[in-house]
Amino acid sequence: MGMRVQPGVIGCTIRPAIASRDRSLEEMIYDTVQLALADAAISIDDIDGIVVAANDQFDGRSISVMMASGPVGGVDRDIMSTPSASEHAFILGALRVATGQFRTQLVVSWSPTEVSSMSEAQRLGADPYFHRALPLDELSAHALQASAIEHVQPNARAAATAVAEKNRAHGRLAWPDPPLQPAAGPLRWPIMPTMTSAPVTGSVAMVLAASDFVAERGVRDVAWLRGMGWATEPSFLGDRDLATAPALAAAARQAYEAAGIADAATAFDLVEVTDATPYAELLAYEALSLCPRPEWAARTADGSFARGGRVPVNLSGGVLTWNPVFCTGLIRIAEVANQIRGRAGAHQVANARSGLAHAGSGFAMQYQSAIVLAKEARP
Amino acid sequence: MSSDRVGIIGIGQSEFRSHRDDASYPELVREGVVRAMQDAGLDFDAIQAVVYSLSPDAMVGIGNAERLGVDAVGARNKPFLRINNGGATGISAVAAAYYHVASGMFDVVLTAGADKIGECGDSQTVLNKIWDPSYERPLPLGTINMLAMSAVRYMDRYGMTQEDMARVTVKNRRHAALNPKAHLRRIVTIDDVLESRIISWPIKLLDCCPQSSGGAAMVLASEQFIRDNHLDAVWITGVGHSAETYWMGDRMGNNPTAEHADAYALGRSFEKSYRMAGITDPERQVHVAELYAPFSNTEFHSIDAARLVAHRGESVARLRDGEFEIGGRIPVNPSGGTLCTNAIAVTAMARVAEVALQVWGRAGDHQVNGARLGIASGNGGDHQIFGTMVIEA
Repeated sequence: MGMRVQPGVIGCTIRPAIASRDRSLEEMIYDTVQLALADAAISIDDIDGIVVAANDQFDGRSISVMMASGPVGGVDRDIMSTPSASEHAFILGALRVATGQFRTQLVVSWSPTEVSSMSEAQRLGADPYFHRALPLDELSAHALQASAIEHVQPNARAAATAVAEKNRAHGRLAWPDPPLQPAAGPLRWPIMPTMTSAPVTGSVAMVLAASDFVAERGVRDVAWLRGMGWATEPSFLGDRDLATAPALAAAARQAYEAAGIADAATAFDLVEVTDATPYAELLAYEALSLCPRPEWAARTADGSFARGGRVPVNLSGGVLTWNPVFCTGLIRIAEVANQIRGRAGAHQVANARSGLAHAGSGFAMQYQSAIVLAKEARP
Repeated sequence: MSSDRVGIIGIGQSEFRSHRDDASYPELVREGVVRAMQDAGLDFDAIQAVVYSLSPDAMVGIGNAERLGVDAVGARNKPFLRINNGGATGISAVAAAYYHVASGMFDVVLTAGADKIGECGDSQTVLNKIWDPSYERPLPLGTINMLAMSAVRYMDRYGMTQEDMARVTVKNRRHAALNPKAHLRRIVTIDDVLESRIISWPIKLLDCCPQSSGGAAMVLASEQFIRDNHLDAVWITGVGHSAETYWMGDRMGNNPTAEHADAYALGRSFEKSYRMAGITDPERQVHVAELYAPFSNTEFHSIDAARLVAHRGESVARLRDGEFEIGGRIPVNPSGGTLCTNAIAVTAMARVAEVALQVWGRAGDHQVNGARLGIASGNGGDHQIFGTMVIEA
């Protein structure tokens, strides 16, 4: 089924690494929202509804949306909150515009690093009886997934290494001086220091608008939502085949069907995937029908997914370059929107007309989403 | 008749008690889900997406505890996301499910959740963590003293007495005695309430909701699906949310943005829901109300905000007259309400579910005769984020 009203992205702000300590979290969120509104050339008075996404454990609060309602402009406004994933805020915001009951939505997510141990905060999300005691954090879960992939796919490590090198090269162009993971040796075997990056504080905001609002305001730079899909894996890692990504495949099917995409490998001018590790990026190639796994090694070696290649993937440098943990998924969507809108900055790809964003989160990417954005509204 | 309406086709509520040692957290979620699916007469293949209803993780003691509920709600490889609007979560989750269907993308969506508040130790310790860590947590603030401050201001402005607060408890306990799902069902007297120990003046023990454990679920569907499959349904005709400032100090003192005695944003949310449903005179058009009121005093400003009375504060006199009893002019919380059952993750969902059962004519012993249009509300945060709905037969 299609959306009743087509949403488009008319404003974005990505603040992938915020080092300043002279602004509180509330002020940081306020700054981000104001930049997104300015990018959309509208004011908060034009916003009909707001969806925020944050993680209580990272924020150190029981209901994160409470503190944020003021900074995002939620007072006397329709505001909802989803803590499951940052990308879910985009999805809910898009659904609300698609009903025709809202003309605009502000979507905001943030991820601070003030928690004493990100790993401990993540461990709280593990089943308390079986998994928490292992101990299991997100990097451990990603490592288990990498091991599972290596077990069934020869040359996976070489392909993963090539992916990491590609994304770091992209990152050097997109952002100056990205931080490198300081640890030496495998962080969690087989994840090497070059295959991930240290958590940083970041935030992201997007403005979505209905087609009639876009027409009325004469908005020119719009990334139209052509299709979106999202799905979840079961919670227990033991119930999953970690070498596969069936939820992402399901999400991609939803998104491609809505967008009318028959051949994903040739449909997009650029793709952003959540490369929590390069193994996650490889798995996404397959689940998104960009490249079957037997071709991983060849395609990563020949630069098919590098700048100038067949389908550039993660021109932003991806999560390997900047890792504001909780909001990396929404940042992928915002990156694609910025590319379509011609506002991606140093890493802008020429003539981007169609893009795909993959957002994944949770232990070994439990939550998976696929978002198709395009320069043209739907036919 | 519009073909764009969204209907409720299945409702399930578990048994609510202080402890549910017989069910793990996912099993408790499953209990409500199975009942809702049986009520809808569908199997899980029909469910196209799931909205998970869970408020603070800390109540369950697991971060992102919705992940553990994925299989309990049958969401594997399906669209799934969670809502957390604090105490409003349940009605916000129904609203999110509504938006799924109303967007045109889905025909059938399940929303479900559960909470084990009775097993979290002390919910007030968890709820203290909703406040600013530097200024407000050390006071210490909890949701009880937060709303005790509202009660004091309401007394000052509108003449509410401790006896009036007790009357709310007496009414709702009498209603809950008719509702087999309710947690606190023992009938009490005004003297029982007045003689119960003070928790945070003027709120006494029997002015407080319990800490409940239980689950709930609802199945929503498009009008086209309901017609094509010849299903019975009631309809969500109004949906709204609105929020107040996080800072309670800005709701008190001189020229507050929203007075803490009242429920300003709840009123704004009802305005939106009423406008959407075409309700211009709620005093005459609303037949039944389930209003989220975890402490007896908050039922008054909720009735005011829903405009079931002509002006703010009139709810006190009208309640004395018995207008909000089953059999009265507009029964409020005929299920016993939040005051008798509060499993926070699904409490506001239960408000929607109970109103739906009322306008469906399926509420059992606490049925309000002739109810065809009802309203529901949920409150979250520090009396800050409000969701409302209008449900019609």
